[in-house]
Amino acid sequence: MAYRVLIVDDSPAMRSFVRRVMELSGFDLSVCFEAGDGGEALKVLRSEWVDAILTDINMPGMDGEELLRRLSEDELLRAIPAIVISTDATSSRMDRLATLGARGYITKPFVPEDLRAVLERTLGDPNA
Amino acid sequence: MPETQFQRALRDSVQEVLERMFFVEPVEEPPGEAGSPDGELAVRVAFEGRPSGTLTLRVATAAACQIAADFLGEDVSELPPARVEEVVCELANMICGSVLSRVESSTAFRLASPRLLPAEERPHCQEATDRRAVHAVAIGSGTLTASVETRDPVCPVVEESAS
Repeated sequence: MAYRVLIVDDSPAMRSFVRRVMELSGFDLSVCFEAGDGGEALKVLRSEWVDAILTDINMPGMDGEELLRRLSEDELLRAIPAIVISTDATSSRMDRLATLGARGYITKPFVPEDLRAVLERTLGDPNA
Repeated sequence: MPETQFQRALRDSVQEVLERMFFVEPVEEPPGEAGSPDGELAVRVAFEGRPSGTLTLRVATAAACQIAADFLGEDVSELPPARVEEVVCELANMICGSVLSRVESSTAFRLASPRLLPAEERPHCQEATDRRAVHAVAIGSGTLTASVETRDPVCPVVEESAS
């Protein structure tokens, strides 16, 4: 199956890294949209459907928490699984993100297997 | 000086981030003088939380190019300087977040966007103090030095008693 994903991170290098790890993990990406913050992500989602959103938290402009809040308030967009990739591993942050509807949480630094495991739980095994 | 909580967190974070996401095995070395501005990149990340402060990362340009190539899976000779700078900024961001998550595991913090430092803002020589932790490693083609400075003094680590 080919997936359509949206990667939201203010770091172009990190967006490239996540995309590369997904492809190396066997996820066939038919389309990979990129956005530099939550506002850009919502703009993409106004015209494009995706199977999953992978988002950073600390971003200039609209941050990841606000993006999750906006997604949870939208009847259509709340169905898209959102996975958070962040350096912030504090318990208060993780609790808050779970409340906002994050389906998965990956703490940087991570090894490719960590990302693959969370994606498989969310999207299914790409090799099944 | 006794090792502070930040010193320990910085050492462990530099090690873990470089190994897990940049696929290099750093070797600890004593912090040295800053290199020439042409020969190294420097990035600063400000953070707000409990405590607040800044992380500064200096890395030799040759080493920066190599880790950027490994991170992005691209040929080092084809990487434009801007891509290398993006990766060094992300490296600083990750080390900073990792340090803060180790030091304060319950209170959320906020990181500002990493900022490349012009030559005149770069620290010349950094020694550890009660408000500053410094850690340097050799990463093959050069040295990487990370320092975390807090606005308020940080308490030394209290070793657990054997009894």
